Amino acid sequence: MKKNNIEGWLFVSPLVIWISLIILVPIYIAFELSLFNVKIIGTSGKFVGIDNYIKLFGRSKFLNASLNSFYWIIGNAICQTFFAFTIALTINYKFPGKKIMANWIILSFIIPTVVVVVIWKLMLSSSSGVINSVLIDIGLLDEATGFFSSPNKAFISLVLINSWRWSPFLALIILSGLNSINREMYDASKVDGANFVQQFLFITFPNLKSVLFVLGLVGTLLSFNIFDIIWLITKGGPSSATTTLPLLIYETAFTKFRISQAATLSIVTSFLLLLFSIIFIKSMAPKEDD
Amino acid sequence: MIKENNIKLIFLSLSLLLIIVIFFFPFFWIITSSFKIPEEIIATSTTIIPRSFTVEHYNKILFNSDFFIYLKNSLIVSFSSMIISIILSVSAAYGLHKLKFYGNKFVEYSLLVTYAFPGVILLVPIYLLFAKVNLLNSYFALIIVNVLFATPFAVWMLKAFFKLIPNEIEEAAYIDGASRYVVISRIIVPLAAPGIASVAIFCFIISWTEYLFASILISGDDLKTLPVGLAGIVGQYQIDWGFLLSGAVLASLPVILLFVFIGKYFVSGLTEGAVK
Repeated sequence: MKKNNIEGWLFVSPLVIWISLIILVPIYIAFELSLFNVKIIGTSGKFVGIDNYIKLFGRSKFLNASLNSFYWIIGNAICQTFFAFTIALTINYKFPGKKIMANWIILSFIIPTVVVVVIWKLMLSSSSGVINSVLIDIGLLDEATGFFSSPNKAFISLVLINSWRWSPFLALIILSGLNSINREMYDASKVDGANFVQQFLFITFPNLKSVLFVLGLVGTLLSFNIFDIIWLITKGGPSSATTTLPLLIYETAFTKFRISQAATLSIVTSFLLLLFSIIFIKSMAPKEDD
Repeated sequence: MIKENNIKLIFLSLSLLLIIVIFFFPFFWIITSSFKIPEEIIATSTTIIPRSFTVEHYNKILFNSDFFIYLKNSLIVSFSSMIISIILSVSAAYGLHKLKFYGNKFVEYSLLVTYAFPGVILLVPIYLLFAKVNLLNSYFALIIVNVLFATPFAVWMLKAFFKLIPNEIEEAAYIDGASRYVVISRIIVPLAAPGIASVAIFCFIISWTEYLFASILISGDDLKTLPVGLAGIVGQYQIDWGFLLSGAVLASLPVILLFVFIGKYFVSGLTEGAVK
């Protein structure tokens, strides 16, 4: 089809205007705030220039939260890739009940995050949780453990809970990629004597490129942005071990009431994410043939 | 090839078992637990089959709490967000994928990148902006934010459906003298209907589950949504588990019901719209 500039823009503009207004105006407000010294919302502060930025990089809390965010993204990427591929490859087979499972596997994604929190708080409770009693019954544990009591355990538990929520959704997107692969390629490779590991490495994986690109980009950004699961379970503790950048921003703004500091954090974080996205798109975007 | 098939069967059974235990058992557990008496919910020795049955928690939440106010708020916010999201994303997806224009790749990728900005990064400035224009404590505040969350991915989901509609159908209609409006309402929308249905569910889910902004932008009790109401119980020092579990089940029920009726469009919309 030939290019249709005016009408094309006309159709995308309502959404583009909506999104830009709700992103750009707040970003501008945040940038302005980051140059002042405002504490409680609604009060005014004095102009401090780039002071907030200089101070930020010296704060150990910022460094700690950045590292936590980095581990959070890596941990979630590994867990979710494992779960999502397991689900997608399993559902891709024929077995009785396949349709029902394909429809309902996404249950953990459609319920409110708060419900996810309720489920896992109950299941992982140290005093009466079913996971503790099962682990004790099969002999893996001697006594009930607090899954959120030590820094490492809390962090790993949260990664697993978040992966539990997101993996089925990601699995369906991978499944869409699997469905678009030409079946004949598998038959042909079988004739040539390829086993199913080779089929996965040389047919399945390369053909999932465009899906994996979107998942890599959107998945990373979505993981980074997770707030409610962490906040509602650990509040960032114990001893700040689960305080990622989003939690630090929230804490700084709404419990410590340092609005300018929180705005500075938001600007720096947005910049980092934008940088990541540009590099990711430039280096990984699949060539499209249209 | 018998040996390879056996290995496959073992793998398949193991992963099915893993999936059922990890992804389905927790639901069985909270639903049955919500009908247990309080002593059994917090008992240290747990059995898979419930030993007690009671509806006292449901009585309490339905007749002795603000549940219906929160439900009404959640429904209003989610339905409005869904409808606005559909209109905006269908229009944008049509522009992006049916009318090629200068800059369309840029718009497409930028939409994906907007996932970088939602979330807590925007929380402080959006709070300040809405305070300035008097939008705090209104349904519209939440709707604005939910649309922002839902639409970028919705446009991407619609891409596959729009690409499946052959351009020739549209061209033939134009030759017959049809206007752009007729083509969209009589050809594009009906042909992309499964895609639009899946986008609708996606937008509804995003709005229904949103907690962060709803907890900050709304302070009046009469406008709170279900997730915020539930989180209030989670945060209490002494958790009333029966109350909380029955609340969690009831808060999930509307999305699950919606999913019973149009869930298959969502799943097939995600999985069958060939992404190429």
